[in-house]
Amino acid sequence: MADMLKIGLVLMLVALIAAVALGFVNSRTAPMIAIQKELAKQNAMTEVAAGLSPGDSLAFDSLSVTSLENPYASCDNTLNIVRVSVPPDTSRIGYVFIAFGKGYSSTVQTMVAVEIEGVISNTMILYQQETPGLGANIVNPAKLISKFNGLIASQCLLSKDGGGIDAMTGCTITSRTVTNSIRTGLEAMSEAGLFDSGDTEGGMQ
Amino acid sequence: MSLIKDFTKGIYRENPVFRLVLGMCPFLAVTTSVENALGMGAAATFVLICSNFLVSLFRNIIPSKVRIPCYIVIIATFVTLVDMVMNAYLPDLHRSLGIFIPLIVVNCIILGRAEGFANRHPVLNSIADAVGMGIGFTLAMVILASFRELLGNGTLLNINVLGSAYQNQPLLIAILAPGAFILLSFILGFFNILEKRKGGRQ
Amino acid sequence: MNPTVLLSALLATPDSGSQGFDLGKMMAIIIASIFVNNFVLARFLGICPFLGVSKELDSAIGMGAAVIFVMALATLGSWAAYHLLLVPMGLTYLSTIAFILIIASLVQLVEMILQKFSPALYSALGIFLPLITTNCAILGVAVLNIDEKYTLGYSLVNAIAAGIGFTLALILMAGLRQRLELADVPPAMKGKPVAFLVAGIMSIAFLGFAGLGG
Repeated sequence: MADMLKIGLVLMLVALIAAVALGFVNSRTAPMIAIQKELAKQNAMTEVAAGLSPGDSLAFDSLSVTSLENPYASCDNTLNIVRVSVPPDTSRIGYVFIAFGKGYSSTVQTMVAVEIEGVISNTMILYQQETPGLGANIVNPAKLISKFNGLIASQCLLSKDGGGIDAMTGCTITSRTVTNSIRTGLEAMSEAGLFDSGDTEGGMQ
Repeated sequence: MSLIKDFTKGIYRENPVFRLVLGMCPFLAVTTSVENALGMGAAATFVLICSNFLVSLFRNIIPSKVRIPCYIVIIATFVTLVDMVMNAYLPDLHRSLGIFIPLIVVNCIILGRAEGFANRHPVLNSIADAVGMGIGFTLAMVILASFRELLGNGTLLNINVLGSAYQNQPLLIAILAPGAFILLSFILGFFNILEKRKGGRQ
Repeated sequence: MNPTVLLSALLATPDSGSQGFDLGKMMAIIIASIFVNNFVLARFLGICPFLGVSKELDSAIGMGAAVIFVMALATLGSWAAYHLLLVPMGLTYLSTIAFILIIASLVQLVEMILQKFSPALYSALGIFLPLITTNCAILGVAVLNIDEKYTLGYSLVNAIAAGIGFTLALILMAGLRQRLELADVPPAMKGKPVAFLVAGIMSIAFLGFAGLGG
């Protein structure tokens, strides 16, 4: 009995020390992790949206549109759609949004900058864990995503699916998921009336 | 003298990967690039040193009946520590190592050294052993990763070595899963021949 | 905690209310875990038992069964601990420690229960159980289920499918290695090297399933 008590006590002590130590380190690193994440996102937004108004410094305001629920909201709901403007003028010059798509072995996140008419200005892969050497090459813009620049929603379709974009060789799944996630995002935004389409002034909510 | 011996044995004579064939899962999975191999090696070596140090320090206090759970808690604590620190200061590396950081906990090398060496040897020897084993593990990963990155992508440490003509038509299989198994098989075979030569001379 | 609250918490999906079961998604998870992202041959999880226990067909089947069983139990335990304890208390950073302790104690518990109530099954699976604690496939499936934000139902399906994938690779390997015993292998490649070579060729075959992923 005394033996068991001693064993239990030792185990509890070890676990307690471990938990306290980790709690301490977590309290130090957690804010740092949050800052790093925020910084990475800011840098990505500045980079991807640079083409919307070259040379100007841009302002980003997050925009919540209820009909545009992000299907992967639980991964990252800090940024759905961002409205881009050139301060001090507050009128929008475009949007930045993150498209989520289930790829071969990860959920690929693509950041997309769109002009107010709904034309893609630039794209950038934010996160992917696809197969190294194959799907992971998606981060190289020349392989696929640079082909999206200047397209509108309906043009974002692989040639295998009846569109005009050639998939990366050997990685149809990754190419398709990225293409489709961008198209779905654009379609949803257009449905929500965010784009200027000729006569109608885009309705902001 | 024995300190040096404890240190050097992990690098070649008892190399955890090539001689003992331990810790295969992270070894095969993260060797798609030399950068990942170095990151994983550093993380595993750090955990190895810390766990060997603590296990050796408390080897007379921890009751032998519950030693394995205690070792696991110690190892898991340091792994979580590495996980958090890496996430805070090296987010890109953290991202590309992914699930294999928490899985350092079940890396048989670390528990194996705690159970097989540190709980029977003094602190300094245990640390020497951990450093040697860590370097041996890292070295082995860098060797395989160099082959895989060079053949599969034409680069070394992200620097283009074989030229862009090769990069357009690389030996892709080397960087995919089968390449890891096949290249490792040849490397192990090479070490077997090396060992046999040495044995013959003596 | 009130039992009905507990039950509804277990059945609810963590991200989007109670959507229920989607058969298509379930099939996709099953095929992906068994073939496309096979734990051993594509994800490199559980290599040690894959090499250690694949010398004979009988022990491969025993090990496979034990892994499927423990994987399902460990998923249940780790899912409950994560969503009912760690998330509400804001302690998600302790998940690695919590999961490995749950797995280690589950394995001990299963071993003791089997020994007491089913000596026949214990003599068949018993020797494999201690090995399972350090099988990274078990911890791997627990971590992956959390990363993928699967509901409890999907997590269980994923765990069992992953276990089946592991068993499949193990059994195939055992069959090949039994034949390899009779083959004329160069002395330098005998044992582990040729086993890895065979695993590599099997892995090439499994690459062919990539198109099924959808």
